[in-house]
Amino acid sequence: MTGAWQVRSIWFWLSIAVVVILAVFLLYPLVNVLASSFGGARAEGRSGWQVLLVEPRYLKAVANTVTLGLIVTLTCTLVGVPLAYIAARHSFPGKVLIAILPLTTLIVPEVIAAQTWLMMLGNNGLLTRTLAGWGIALPSFYGWFGLITVMTFIYYTYVYIGTLAAIRGFDVQLEEAARSLGTSPARSRWQVMVPVVLPSILASALLVFTLVVGNFAVATILGHKVDLLSVITYQTFVSEVGADPVMQSTLASVSIGIVAVVLFIQRFVLARGRFEITLGRGARPEPLRGASAWALALAAGFVVVISLLPLVTVMAGAFTRARGPVMRWGEWTTANLERVLINAPDPILNTLLFAGIATVASLIFSTGVSYLIVKKRSALTPVIDYLSSLPLALSGTVIGIGLVMSFNTGWLALTGTSAIIVLAYLIRRLPFGIRNASSTLYNVPNSIEEASISLGVPPGRSFLKVVLPLMIPSVAAAGVLVWTTTVAELSASVVVYSGGRETLPIQIFRLIDSGLMAQASAYGIVLVAIILIPIIVATTVFKLDIFGAR
Amino acid sequence: MATISIADLAVSYSGNRVIDGLDLQIAAGSFYTLLGPSGCGKTTLLRTLAGFLPVERGRIRFGDRDVTALPAHRRDIGMVFQDYALFPDKTVYDNVAYGLRARAQDEATIRLRVGEYLDRVGLGGLAARHPAALSGGQRQRVALARALVIQPQVLLMDEPLSNLDAKLRVQVRETIADLQREAGITTVFVTHDQEEALALSDRIGLMRQGRIEQNASPQDIYRLPASAYVADFVGAANVLAVEAVTPDAAGDGVTVTLAGRRIIARVPRRLSGGAVLLIARPEDLRLARCGATANAVSGAIVRKQYLGGRTSYRVRCAADGAGIAGPDVMVELHGAGHNDWDEGAAVDVLFDPQASIVTAS
Ligand SMILES: Nc1ncnc2c1ncn2[C@@H]1O[C@H](COP(=O)(O)OP(=O)(O)O)[C@@H](O)[C@H]1O
Ligand SMILES: [Mg+2]
Repeated sequence: MTGAWQVRSIWFWLSIAVVVILAVFLLYPLVNVLASSFGGARAEGRSGWQVLLVEPRYLKAVANTVTLGLIVTLTCTLVGVPLAYIAARHSFPGKVLIAILPLTTLIVPEVIAAQTWLMMLGNNGLLTRTLAGWGIALPSFYGWFGLITVMTFIYYTYVYIGTLAAIRGFDVQLEEAARSLGTSPARSRWQVMVPVVLPSILASALLVFTLVVGNFAVATILGHKVDLLSVITYQTFVSEVGADPVMQSTLASVSIGIVAVVLFIQRFVLARGRFEITLGRGARPEPLRGASAWALALAAGFVVVISLLPLVTVMAGAFTRARGPVMRWGEWTTANLERVLINAPDPILNTLLFAGIATVASLIFSTGVSYLIVKKRSALTPVIDYLSSLPLALSGTVIGIGLVMSFNTGWLALTGTSAIIVLAYLIRRLPFGIRNASSTLYNVPNSIEEASISLGVPPGRSFLKVVLPLMIPSVAAAGVLVWTTTVAELSASVVVYSGGRETLPIQIFRLIDSGLMAQASAYGIVLVAIILIPIIVATTVFKLDIFGAR
Repeated sequence: MATISIADLAVSYSGNRVIDGLDLQIAAGSFYTLLGPSGCGKTTLLRTLAGFLPVERGRIRFGDRDVTALPAHRRDIGMVFQDYALFPDKTVYDNVAYGLRARAQDEATIRLRVGEYLDRVGLGGLAARHPAALSGGQRQRVALARALVIQPQVLLMDEPLSNLDAKLRVQVRETIADLQREAGITTVFVTHDQEEALALSDRIGLMRQGRIEQNASPQDIYRLPASAYVADFVGAANVLAVEAVTPDAAGDGVTVTLAGRRIIARVPRRLSGGAVLLIARPEDLRLARCGATANAVSGAIVRKQYLGGRTSYRVRCAADGAGIAGPDVMVELHGAGHNDWDEGAAVDVLFDPQASIVTAS
């Protein structure tokens, strides 16, 4: 054994440690979920799959989920793609407003979006009542109408961002080449640009589909009359009398299956769309004038305003007097805020604590794992790679259920502790953290580390002294994103939390369930502040490129 | 300053053996170049010397230290990389000071030494800059200063000039030569550029598929190539299949037949008999009017290329007595009248007995 072999073996043992960690906290819960779906169902003595196939409610939920996924994917594409095209190719009055769109999904947690839409259009909603006063009856917002509307305005930004990047990256010279060959501008655009941009649109549309399938907050709050997979999975998990471990596993397995299929398609689409990466000279936006400019500005402005509406509503709601579930719009008060900040600040403190630990741990773990993946490749590298991207196929609900099933009792009983909440956070953010840190590491040439070693600094210290400093800006940017998404996390934490460990989204969710919108709004603006302040500090004080890290 | 001794070295990448049974001695304080085409194993050998690749078999010694099992950071080497590998977040000063700090030198000494070496590479005024604000040539000078300031036992350089444009390459090349001579550090330099190798080296190891094909001074590599491979890789060469007739009376010469004519040439190494190769560089050949010139073959000019200071001719040798077509020979003339011959002219190609080599095929 030579020295170099010994150095290598340290990394090998570290890789083994990572594989073990991932196997215990990720693979084992997943296998637990999948395996117990084949166990005998509680009452009937049949496997969960047999029950699923005969029980109309379950089949209906699967059908509803897929239908909702398809519809929202379509509506998001219909909103996101034209908006991206307009933003990339045209300039018109008020266009700068569109630039803030990517922010809205980030700073408005789903649970708050659902809540504020209810405050406007729910049974007691401001708009519902106003319109009713004018004799206009709206369809009930609890159901397809609400689900589709809210999810569209939450998720279209993913299509918008993906498409915008592709159109900006598209080389207009290709289009000009087509025109120089005698094709009309519109035709050449259609023939040359669409095939290049299409894979990106498809990829982001498929992402939206998986998000809809996994969505818990909106589905639960607005889906009372529509059975959806994530909701009945959660219900079979929590219901006091009817808790059904086999059915909860079976339903979770179905959603894993749906997402797995979509991810497989996405991989295929992306593999075929490799050419999209050719970065070229982007087009200069053409200024629009006259009526068409104003029409466009109005349409885009409408989308922007609706996207920002939840923010305005939650602000107003937080300062509006309420008696029980009844909002007294127009009567202002700071009582709600005083209550949540002074009398019941626990959810705030819990959120800060759990998300803080999870963010730091996530950054350290994903930086270390990325280093192993990128710089110390071994036979275990592909294993780590696959294991760490597994959470992409798992909704928060599934992760939560897997964790509870696996760490309920035994040598590692985590149920009822804060650790399991942090763990759920960590697992959900793992793929993002690793993807980000890896792409940064790929940009740090090996020779820099070797230069340090050749100058007499041992490998470990070389990493800390020369590689880590180069990673810090992007790791910090990723940290901000991990933080913002973790403090807003609901679907996994609501499954694993126990009394006294409510986080802000959980508390908001419970208050919405009780109809206490004013108090929910008060917690809501605290949550938005917790999200927004780090973003503002990072981008203005530290000049971090947060969206570069996505 | 240390001798480098490599004995029976074998190195593999996951089972694929790239270097197998390599033996090499590099004299203390000398400038040694590993030269060879891309993929022949130069970088692998260099990185093995540095300690970045594990040794499968064999031993490496720096002076009397056996470094085979020593990790890279304890080998006391300086390394210069093709892509400079400067620390982008550190200033020029901090880059150069990095190795001294790792050796826990006090700041006053560091300031002195860094200043001295930055002056030596001609970058005294740029200490506060970041690498991004330097040109390629300046960056490589910083890398050079960073590697030399720690006064390593061995300096290793992997194609340090290949990212520079032609003019800078010559400038930085001179800096490297000056500094190495001053410091007298045993240096191993990797390149695929024969001109660099010839200009810089005390000795050259010409590599072929993980072996050293010839280990010799630049002059011997060029004048007395050990094989057609060496002759072909370093400069241009006519490599002609010939038959040996007799050993020459002088002892180190031999007479061969080429296109039916007798040519006297040198034999730097013992021949094992059979078919041999005659190696002659185009610039060592002369043209003469057709006649019974001694040590020459006759033929006709089939192609002529005017190259400014010289002219290149392709001469097709006449068929020999048995009617077998003669080979093409490249001739390059310079000096007065180099452009005077015309395509189609019947000529004799004169071989210089001292500059023509016969080797085993
Ligand atoms: N990291 C590696 N893994 C596997 N094979 C490699 C690796 N690096 C180099 N090789 C192989 O080893 C041989 C020698 O490569 P190298 O030492 O880089 O050659 P050179 O520096 O002379 O161009 C080549 O055939 C190359 O394909
Ligand atoms: Mg190389």
